[in-house]
Amino acid sequence: MRMKVDELLCTGHGRCAKFAPGVFTLDDAGFNTAAGETVDVPAGQEDDATKAMKACPERAISLAD
Amino acid sequence: MAKVNVDELVEQNDPETTPERLVERFGRDFFRDFDIDDPNLNEHFHEVIDLMVQKCPVAHSKVGTGYYVFSSEEAVRRIGQDWQTFSSAKGYIPNRPDDQPLMIPVEQDPPNHTSWRRALNPHMSPQVMEGIKDDVAREVNLLIDKFIDRGECEFISEMAGLLPGRAFFIYVLGVPVDDLPELVHDVDKSLFGPLDQRTTYHKKVYDYLEAFLKKRKDMPPQGDIVDTILKGVTYKDGNEAPWDHQVSVVLDLTYGGISTTIYALGSTARHLADHPDQRQQLLDNPEWIENSVEEFVRAYSPVVAMGRTCMKDVEVEGVSLKEGDYVMMGFSGAGRDPRTIDNPKELNFEEPTVHHATFGVGPHRCIGSHLARMELAVFIREWLKRIPHFRVKPGTKPVYETGFLRAMSSLMLEWD
Ligand code: HEM
Ligand code: HEM
Ligand code: SF4
Repeated sequence: MRMKVDELLCTGHGRCAKFAPGVFTLDDAGFNTAAGETVDVPAGQEDDATKAMKACPERAISLAD
Repeated sequence: MAKVNVDELVEQNDPETTPERLVERFGRDFFRDFDIDDPNLNEHFHEVIDLMVQKCPVAHSKVGTGYYVFSSEEAVRRIGQDWQTFSSAKGYIPNRPDDQPLMIPVEQDPPNHTSWRRALNPHMSPQVMEGIKDDVAREVNLLIDKFIDRGECEFISEMAGLLPGRAFFIYVLGVPVDDLPELVHDVDKSLFGPLDQRTTYHKKVYDYLEAFLKKRKDMPPQGDIVDTILKGVTYKDGNEAPWDHQVSVVLDLTYGGISTTIYALGSTARHLADHPDQRQQLLDNPEWIENSVEEFVRAYSPVVAMGRTCMKDVEVEGVSLKEGDYVMMGFSGAGRDPRTIDNPKELNFEEPTVHHATFGVGPHRCIGSHLARMELAVFIREWLKRIPHFRVKPGTKPVYETGFLRAMSSLMLEWD
């Protein structure tokens, strides 16, 4: 499973790192460190990542491919 | 103002939404002539908001020059994110007097807004707030110490009204502790005091914070948010942000966080007092507390609505808006939108994914959201440890006020 994080939409709500700390991390300003990139969701963390995707108030996270 | 026939937006022939029925039920037709300051809204708040988001997600107001209130979560998100089309630079409340100075950064657009947020965000991140969690827990317990043996408290004046000010002024801004009682009192009076005194108290708070900033200018840097504000930012035109913008940032941080967090604490305490079963869930599963915070702020959004000015003609949810029209994002409705949330009137602590717009969306996303979340979670945890069971004192009624913010001014609680 791969997810992309939209650089323009991410405004640092930080919900992603709360729900999927093994997938998403925050930079010093509290923004998703993968903003503008696509991340490989590690095996076994798909549920967490999906929760994070749904919780993002900006809908900045989406499934890639 | 673009011509909108609200009747076309409201389902035809629905007996629940005729002007007559709305006036009979709520004292006003809030669909066709919304007024955020009408006392009838305060009186029937959730009934009006819930009916609006379901049946009239684009309400029309004829107050002043008129405005629209969009309350579906999708429309709120679209307006908040598209700052080029929906500008903050003409104020976040409708019919704003021209002579009022704009607040920074909340009434500013990118790129100048971005300069401030980039500078300020690192001081308000989840990681930083994690670091002051224990201090806030101590504050909660000190406040509880003062009334726990009495078996009752007036929650707003003895807890909710004090905690956000203390947390922000001591641990974020670093105001001398000796100055706090007066400062917190003055902030309270500027928000909830007699109407004719609010401006005086606001001026007092402004003067205090400006003097505090000036004093810090002459002191060695401490690497905190005050140094960042004093360092300032360079605007797009190459000029440094002026002094009054620097002071405005401190005021925005202060006023953005006080009333909003007081209401979030008050509505949380009231919900837990009225729902013993849900209180028990949190006592049994303290790991659900952080999720419960999201549910409390979703269902009881402290900010009812904030506005934007259209910079060009644009269509939203089938409504043709004209350049210059004023639109409001109805955050209270968006958190209770049945299109995004199953059973929006129920609070569900177990299911962790909660999607809401209570802290705003887009570049103005609440900078204090991580502080507020942390305060609420710490409050719930510490309170339930010491006062696991409590109720609204029989014979009393919680008192609310409503404008662009939902506020609570009295909540009597008691326990055995
Ligand atoms: C539960 C508590 C809170 C709620 C519901 C809340 C809600 C909001 C909302 C909806 C906005 C967006 C405004 C817009 O789109 O125009 C906002 C912005 C803001 N909030 Fe909060 N807030 C809360 C707590 C705080 C705290 C604790 C602070 C400060 C310590 C704070 C400071 C601010 C500031 C400075 C802005 C303007 C940000 C900008 O324009 O970039 N808020 N808040
Ligand atoms: C530079 C920033 C700000 C300044 C200078 C400012 C100024 C003021 C003033 C002068 C009042 C008192 C109005 C009166 O006399 O009745 C007031 C009230 C209020 N402000 Fe602000 N404000 C700022 C930012 C904010 C923000 C960001 C929020 C919320 C997100 C907010 C929420 C409130 C609330 C809830 C009231 C009380 C309204 C009422 O009781 O009717 N303020 N503010
Ligand atoms: S939840 Fe969304 S907006 Fe917030 S940091 Fe994560 S990706 Fe960015």
